[in-house]
Amino acid sequence: MTGVRLVRLYAVGRRVPHALMAIVAIAIGLRIALLGNWDAYGALQLPLCFEVAAAVSIVATAASPFGEQERVTGRWLPYLRLAVTTALTAAAIGALLVAAGTGGHPSGGTLDVLRNVAGITGIGLLCAAALGGGLSWTGPTAYLVAGVYALYTVWHPPALTTPWLWPARPPHDLAGALCAALVFAAGLAATALRGARDRPGDSE
Amino acid sequence: MTAVITSPAASRQTRRAKGLATPRLLWLELRHNAMAWLVPVAIGLFWLTTYHKTVAMAPFWDVRADSLQLNAMLDFAIPVTGAAAWMGSREARSRLTDQVTITARPRWARLLIPWAATTIWALTAYLGCVAWLYVETAHQAPWGGPLWWPVVVPAVGVAAFAALGFVVGTYLPSRFTAPLATIAAFFILALSTQLIHGSQSYWNVSPIVTGPWDMGPQPGVATFYPFVPDLSIAQVMFLGGLTVALLGALGLPAGAAGRALRAAAAGLTGAGLLAAGTAVGLAGTGTLGTHGMIDIPALHDAASDRPFQYTPVCSRTAIPVCLNPAYAGYLAATAHALAPLLNQLAGLPGAPARIVQDSVTYQQGTGNCVAVLWRGPSASATSLFSVVLADQLPGPAMTAAQVGDQVASMYVPDLVTRVIGDRPGASQAQSAVARALEMSSGTSSFMSFQGPQGPNSCGPEEQGAPSQRLEVAPGTPAYAAAKRFAALPPATRHAWLMRHAAALRAGQITLAQLP
Repeated sequence: MTGVRLVRLYAVGRRVPHALMAIVAIAIGLRIALLGNWDAYGALQLPLCFEVAAAVSIVATAASPFGEQERVTGRWLPYLRLAVTTALTAAAIGALLVAAGTGGHPSGGTLDVLRNVAGITGIGLLCAAALGGGLSWTGPTAYLVAGVYALYTVWHPPALTTPWLWPARPPHDLAGALCAALVFAAGLAATALRGARDRPGDSE
Repeated sequence: MTAVITSPAASRQTRRAKGLATPRLLWLELRHNAMAWLVPVAIGLFWLTTYHKTVAMAPFWDVRADSLQLNAMLDFAIPVTGAAAWMGSREARSRLTDQVTITARPRWARLLIPWAATTIWALTAYLGCVAWLYVETAHQAPWGGPLWWPVVVPAVGVAAFAALGFVVGTYLPSRFTAPLATIAAFFILALSTQLIHGSQSYWNVSPIVTGPWDMGPQPGVATFYPFVPDLSIAQVMFLGGLTVALLGALGLPAGAAGRALRAAAAGLTGAGLLAAGTAVGLAGTGTLGTHGMIDIPALHDAASDRPFQYTPVCSRTAIPVCLNPAYAGYLAATAHALAPLLNQLAGLPGAPARIVQDSVTYQQGTGNCVAVLWRGPSASATSLFSVVLADQLPGPAMTAAQVGDQVASMYVPDLVTRVIGDRPGASQAQSAVARALEMSSGTSSFMSFQGPQGPNSCGPEEQGAPSQRLEVAPGTPAYAAAKRFAALPPATRHAWLMRHAAALRAGQITLAQLP
């Protein structure tokens, strides 16, 4: 019971229920958006916008409301951070896939969603470790612009082919998937071990 | 009872302190603003998505200014919306709302300062990036700029998105507000263009729209006619109105300010919404002008419909090739591609005195299709021969050499026809000489474009009908004569043409009489 209570308190303190609600709303938004008729650019860019929105909702839970006190006394914190972030990422991927699977056909398909959400969450987690939980969204949103531009260059050469801009790579591309996985693992490790950098005003 | 006597000096000091408070607050906000952290991000995005792409484009001011407006708007709107939302939610996040509510200044006035600081940071970075790109362009583009309206629109857009983010952050303070507001802003900005259908769309008011959507930047626009700022004015009006309305909305809640200030805030909000709504309405009345830019009747200045008066740049070929000065970079390649033929035709009866570049005209098709039209080759009676360069037409970007080759393949047959008279009913000798001139000029195309319908932005190019000329098939006596004539030294061929051109045009020369 203590363990469950600990997890519940941790989740409430990090606004995990809010993040889950945001993810559900984003998935519903994607489903509604897929009803529209989009041209080639729109069809490519649309899923990426929702994937980034899901990723920033996940990384927004990295900020701690307790700061140093919790850091010093909470020996289960690394496990809680790891578990909650992984679970939220899985939930976001699942929610987007369910939304897309009920009649919608986002460009890229399942593998694209998996790679993009994980990789962009990793960018956000690295930003949380470096800049603070409150500003963890800066990396993913900047990456959204770069990713959309990379998708644009697929049509308008010279194309940006670096695997670090994985949204523009084909879904089965190994190099893009490896880069995304590496960034996710690095972000997960950084925030699990050290937590987000504490900055005043990050808590709410 | 204590009487307080205020000396004039103390009163002056108090007034000075009050006057200095706002700049001091602004300075404090500038030093502690989230946008300062995001300036490198915005500059990095500008470098990746705007600068690299734009400097690789053809060096025309309109092309580059359009690219700047579209891409820089996206690059700066994203960070500034997030930073402003973050700053707007600061008091609630830091649990300082009650503490700052009791300060002497109205809440509305206090909130405007962090917005201003966020906007100043973003605008400073944006204008620095514009200077970077425009200085580079000024070194490459010979004529026709700089254009400032495409710079002004994103600048006002930055202020508007800062206001949007700030208001959202103030009224919905949460750790989720800044990121989700940022992505929503990007979504609205980037994907609203999906709703554009034709030049009369209300969605043209979006600040990333620079002209007919789906046509892309065209070198032929704003080079023969002045830049038409109608759409830019509507966009600035919309963004300015939106900014005023949003900032006014900060002063509406009870406790934001005194009654008089709240009334002023309500008035500002109403005026801002009115301006924004009017701008949207105006954008919906736009029509595509023949110059390729969107005219809005209520904002249109008829003077911008008059073509530019310019001194063309001309080559030193036997028949001068004269281009618009904006195309000076293409002159050498174009003249080089046409020179072999021009050397042959110079001085012959019917030969033009000058090759001049003509403008194209644009016509709105269904949906977002835009047809590009141009006049056909000028009549033989005139001393000028009009051409359009391939870069003036929709299609992939070309190098100067490719443009020159394209001009040769488009116009050599027409030039030859004009001088030799190789039309339906022409003699075999005329056809053979025409073919020989094309061979010797290095042009293999039998196809020529004839106006007025040209390529459009709707799909595959619609080429004009090929010239109705007698084809000289290999293996025929005419083909053998053509090969023989083409093999002559250029000087001999030209001398023969000078002597026999009139007789050839009259159909009095037979194949056997060709050298």
